Amino acid sequence: MRLAPVFAAVTRRTFVMFKSYSFNSISSLVTMYLVFCLMFFGAKAIGGPVLSSAQTLEAMVVGYFVWLLAVYSYSDLSWDITNEAQVGTLEQLYLSPVGYKWISCFVLVSNAILVYSLNIVFLLLMMVTTGKFLRLDLISLVPILVITVAGVYGIGYMLGGLALVYKRIQAFFQVMQFVLVAFLLAPVDRYVWAKLLPLAMGNHLAAEVMVRGKHLWQLPPADLLYLTASSAFYLALGLAVFTRCEKAAKKVGLLGQY
Amino acid sequence: MLEVSGLTKVFPGRKPVTAVNGITFKVDAGEVVGLLGPNGAGKTTTIKCILGLVRPTAGQVSINGFDQRTHYRQLLRQVAAVLEGSRNIYWRLTVMENVLLFAGLHGISRREARPYAEHLLESFHLMERKDAEVRSLSSGMKQKTAVACALAKRTPLVFLDEPTVGLDVETSYDLRRVLRDLAAGEGRTFVISSHDMHVIQDVCGRVVIISGGRIIANNTVEDLLSLFRTRSYNFTLAGTLDGTLTEGLARAFPQATVAARGGQTLVTARLSHGGQLYELIDVLRLSGAVIESVSQVEPDLERAYLELVRQGRETA
Repeated sequence: MRLAPVFAAVTRRTFVMFKSYSFNSISSLVTMYLVFCLMFFGAKAIGGPVLSSAQTLEAMVVGYFVWLLAVYSYSDLSWDITNEAQVGTLEQLYLSPVGYKWISCFVLVSNAILVYSLNIVFLLLMMVTTGKFLRLDLISLVPILVITVAGVYGIGYMLGGLALVYKRIQAFFQVMQFVLVAFLLAPVDRYVWAKLLPLAMGNHLAAEVMVRGKHLWQLPPADLLYLTASSAFYLALGLAVFTRCEKAAKKVGLLGQY
Repeated sequence: MLEVSGLTKVFPGRKPVTAVNGITFKVDAGEVVGLLGPNGAGKTTTIKCILGLVRPTAGQVSINGFDQRTHYRQLLRQVAAVLEGSRNIYWRLTVMENVLLFAGLHGISRREARPYAEHLLESFHLMERKDAEVRSLSSGMKQKTAVACALAKRTPLVFLDEPTVGLDVETSYDLRRVLRDLAAGEGRTFVISSHDMHVIQDVCGRVVIISGGRIIANNTVEDLLSLFRTRSYNFTLAGTLDGTLTEGLARAFPQATVAARGGQTLVTARLSHGGQLYELIDVLRLSGAVIESVSQVEPDLERAYLELVRQGRETA
């Protein structure tokens, strides 16, 4: 089975749908931007000298950027599954001989191409707004972000699996957004367990690159190992949970229901 | 082509529900088979079990020799399906985008898929609307687009679950014509689940009737009809009702019905053996009736189906 035509078909569909719902997509980014402005200027005004220090504010920009990537990444698949089940196309995707896991992977990649492009624009906008120009060393940054987001996709697959069985899990999304903020703020330099949380190590290393100007090869190998191992673990766990939920949904005949 | 053996589906729960109970049937290549049954009979569950969208509790399914449990991916390459009509497609995409998308999901590139997609849209009279978003189409056009999307995958076996539901007569006829042409011209195999007896009688060569999760009939349409063919005749007589005729018929053929229709009289009688036809004609002749036409009452699939389902319920 050739994967290229399947990827091309899914990507084209994603782009056309994005165009079709462009108002919604753009407005959600504008909302995120306004929330960021409120947070940034609020922190600057009332946070005192500690919070207003240059590095803290820069770290805040990085944190918000990583959080934004994470929010889009984890919610993408579950939104897609919920939506496909609602409109009635989910079963058709399951009839593709490549298997739904590949389809979902292509959905995530094609969405990522769109959303991440917009997020880069968003990041530039944040930098212009705040006057904090971060170092965008893509050679160092892209691998860190890709590995970080892979772990978040694991969470996405877990939620996607739950969406297959329970259909409406939007309430869980809201909670998850705050949980992700907690992960971002985890004290990775003090506790080993914090390094194993999703997002935490990725955010820390991204800040090292973007704020402190370090290159990938200057980062502690142990930290990179923690990042890779924890992301691989969450991705594998997510896929396992998704597979189990898929089986449960097929056993009870839930794929076509909403 | 398709072999289903002992297919059983029990939905778990506090009170487990047996939706499909040991169904066994075969469909040969190039056949068009109708799947009939009342609501809740287990038709859709059977189709979804065959497609692997619902996990069967027991039984075996194979398509073109590919077993569902061991070669599921290969099995999926052999099959396409329309399961929920126009809900199966993307209303925000155009007709052509949908057809090419679903071909793409089966590994067919846009370049390879386009000529056949155009052929299908021509057949369904959708070519003029190929660039229109599906949401702007009539329900009949949406339904035809959904069928075209399934056909564009060019699989040897296609399942159509209620393909004509909600369609007007012309659109339904259009769809039936295309299905007949595809079955004859391309040798594709179709399994069509429908409540529309016209579709089944018009398109299908064989019918599998399911009731209560079991198969109660699996036969050609012709054989099913012959099971219910009776020696019932309609006589159209010139002139209005006549007392002598009514009395004569009541004596010799108490079950016969006599009715006035316009300036004519219609007599319908069910005979127990062929010789009674002469006796009936004698009664009519003696009463002075002038026979204008005689026809045998042909059974239709709907009546045969209803009778079989009734018998099936009684024996269950």
